[in-house]
Amino acid sequence: MKIKILIFLVYIIFSIGCAISNQKIDLRESESIIDFAEDLKGLLADKRSLRNEVKNINAKKPAVQRIVFLADKLWSDGNEIDAVLSLERALRIAKDEPSIYLRLAHIRLEEGFLEESKSFASKGLMISDISSWERVLLTIYLNIDS
Amino acid sequence: MNLINSNIKKILITIVVLAVFISILFLSVLDIKVRDKFETALWTIPAKVYARSLDISEGTYLNKNIFVKELEIIGYKKTYAASSPGEYSIKNRKVEVFLKGFDNQYKKQDKGRFIIAFSKKDKVLSIKREDGIFVDFISLEPLAIGGMYPSHMEDRMPVEWSDVPQELIDIIVSVEDQDFFNHKGFSFKAITRALFRNLRATSVVEGGSTITQQLTKSLFFSPEQTLTRKIMELIVSLLIEIHYSKEEILLAYINDVHLSQVGNRSINGFGLASEHFFGTSIKSLDLDQMALLVGMLKGPSIYNPRRFPERAKKRRDLVLSILNKSDVFSKQRIELELSKPISVISPRYGSKTKYPAFQDLVRLDLRNQFSDKELRVNGLQVHTNIEPVTQEITQKNLTLILKELNQKYKQNLNDLQSAVVIIKVGSGEIVSLVGSSNPNNFGFNRALNAFRPMGSLMKPVVYLAALKRHDQYNLNTIIDDSKLIVSLPEGGAWEPNNFDEEFHGKIPMHEALWQSYNIATARIGMDIGVDVVLEDLYELGYTKKKIPLPSYLIGSIEMSPLEIAEIYQTLASDGFHTELRAVSYVSDLNNNNIWVNQLKLQQRFRSEDIHLLKFPLRQIFERGTARGYSKDILDKWNAGGKTGTSNDQRDSWFAGYAGDYLVIVWLGFDDNRKTPLTGRSGALKVWKAIIEDLNPLAQRSAIPKRIKYLWVNIKDGLLSGENCKNSVYMPFISGFEPKRVSLKSKNCMNVLMPYKTKIYKKINKIMDGLSEN
Repeated sequence: MKIKILIFLVYIIFSIGCAISNQKIDLRESESIIDFAEDLKGLLADKRSLRNEVKNINAKKPAVQRIVFLADKLWSDGNEIDAVLSLERALRIAKDEPSIYLRLAHIRLEEGFLEESKSFASKGLMISDISSWERVLLTIYLNIDS
Repeated sequence: MNLINSNIKKILITIVVLAVFISILFLSVLDIKVRDKFETALWTIPAKVYARSLDISEGTYLNKNIFVKELEIIGYKKTYAASSPGEYSIKNRKVEVFLKGFDNQYKKQDKGRFIIAFSKKDKVLSIKREDGIFVDFISLEPLAIGGMYPSHMEDRMPVEWSDVPQELIDIIVSVEDQDFFNHKGFSFKAITRALFRNLRATSVVEGGSTITQQLTKSLFFSPEQTLTRKIMELIVSLLIEIHYSKEEILLAYINDVHLSQVGNRSINGFGLASEHFFGTSIKSLDLDQMALLVGMLKGPSIYNPRRFPERAKKRRDLVLSILNKSDVFSKQRIELELSKPISVISPRYGSKTKYPAFQDLVRLDLRNQFSDKELRVNGLQVHTNIEPVTQEITQKNLTLILKELNQKYKQNLNDLQSAVVIIKVGSGEIVSLVGSSNPNNFGFNRALNAFRPMGSLMKPVVYLAALKRHDQYNLNTIIDDSKLIVSLPEGGAWEPNNFDEEFHGKIPMHEALWQSYNIATARIGMDIGVDVVLEDLYELGYTKKKIPLPSYLIGSIEMSPLEIAEIYQTLASDGFHTELRAVSYVSDLNNNNIWVNQLKLQQRFRSEDIHLLKFPLRQIFERGTARGYSKDILDKWNAGGKTGTSNDQRDSWFAGYAGDYLVIVWLGFDDNRKTPLTGRSGALKVWKAIIEDLNPLAQRSAIPKRIKYLWVNIKDGLLSGENCKNSVYMPFISGFEPKRVSLKSKNCMNVLMPYKTKIYKKINKIMDGLSEN
């Protein structure tokens, strides 16, 4: 009896859903999705765009953001070693900041340490409080093969 | 007669020519030596080793007591109100601290007063500057924990001419050598004046040596007073005056003078003395502090302000009164300085190197990067990862527990030895290391060099190797813990036995681990292969290749506590391996980082496999050999670990993580005799005492995607329900979870929905209502 009622309820909800939706969703026509796909394609093709995108990711904690900002400056000046040192300092304050792992993954990628880059990305993906965009970016590093 | 005279003349001429030649030769050699010493030896600076500097940031977890302890360790004094650098006060849950400030390029902290507010749950609520502005974070200066000194043990912190305040130059010249800028190395006027005053006082009240002569004495001669030495001193002084400007000579003097002695370590130069006595740089010295230091030149020991404050004050006041007469400073200024009390900080470290076992490791790390000479003369600054508070907590608790064990067992446990290694999970930073039961003594470092059978600490490696085979094993796979005989290839047999010398029949895999059954473990290991288990051991971080032996499966393999730490670090950090690091980075005198020991992360295991393994490692705390903590505490720490006891209880081990600390403890005798201790009754006690003091807070990480939690019956390994008997909620790899329902659980679970979500419960309630209607 319970099962029959449940099937009936699901059917009703489905019918209402179809009725209030007056047009079919066509993924090919969704501009935002096309833009998103183009962005991803661009990011995968060009490490510089990826780097800029990573630098746009801010830390949630202001203290960490200050250190990350300093690391970005060192990184921009070509001082990757001290930038990594600053990012490690940021990690000591907060381990749950995807912004740090993204930067470390990218620096390692630029240095040619592909496996380490993937490891940092993978570690970043283990953070529970993570935005969809941060997840997408970290996943990109997991899938770069050269 | 003429012939004789002519011969004498010739001999005399020869003697004179020879004398002139020898003198020229002598002067040339002396000149080379003087220049060499002046330009090289004077600037040799030993490497300094520092602990990590603590960052305090708003919104992060930090125990107030740990913060206060850190302040005490780095030399801050508790007062009613922090009014000068190096002081702190506590008001309820607020700590007011007057930071001394520091700048090493990589890190910078301005001097100033800050109020740090803590919540009851040890969170930093806010950090407020004295002007009322809230700041994101502050940094405490790193504790200097030792140095690598040359044989003469002279330590200095050289300063540039531009760093030296004009006031200090004025005071030195006024007190030590008023004609310094006019004479050529020695002063007849000063000698005559000193002679006259000394005769009048019938004792030595004033010296006639110029600053150049004093520098000459300090650089080239022993303190003995002979005529030859006085003449040599004059010659060398003249040579110095010929080669160098007055500024260069005075700067050398400022950098070289001996100002204090701490054990074997000689504190030389005003730069280091400013840091040593006032915790500040030479640039920031106040006039009274300068006067005190200049006053000490006459007798660094007898005018030491820490040991003889009254005598030092009298001497300082005398210097100030000399300044009063010299008209360099105004009378009002001198009066003000005279009214100030003597105020010096506690020494940050003495001649003795702190934390010797850790320093061993630092030396090992550095030896691969720098030569011995570079370490002793180039003034390198070695920044390590050691946390002084964690190290002090480790030493204190280890000593305490060893004393308790001694009392409890009433046996001769006096020479029971120990080692503790504490690692920051994820980063591999070694934050504490003890290599002996006397943590402050140098000697055999057991944390690095005691290779002992690891006992049951090996078991998680075997279970990990099994859990990676998703189609063969899950946590609830039933394992046979009955008699096992393994035939060895070279003949004979190996027959493992359990610690309680009993067989336990069919048991689920997770229980076999948290109960630490040897036979069940050996059976799993033999099933998957010893060589396969060893491969995983290498992946975890063990580097010595071994010939596969079945006994390795239950821990006959010998390892040092540090090696075990590397393996468990990979386990604790969800399968991410990183090299363990004692040193963080090394910088040169100009604060440029010349070697950075970077974090090198490698994912060696899938996080879901480690997630499975962590379940029984947590069970060890809930109902296994490490039981005794409430669920709340275990949740807060997110703890997991494993006890280990080698054959005949010769080694007592515990390896466990809590928060982001991984602590490895070993207890045993150096001569490998039996102890009365198991892992639980020995090493675990030390672990508990340390972690309870640290009381860490674990950061939550996401459950790996492929992990699915289900209620299962522990007797048959099949699906069960929350309300069923013998049910455990445990993780499985999605797709490899049990599918069949346990016969024992059919009546107490809903087969369709094994895990009840809120929505399911709600729908169920509505449907129940509809059915009733």
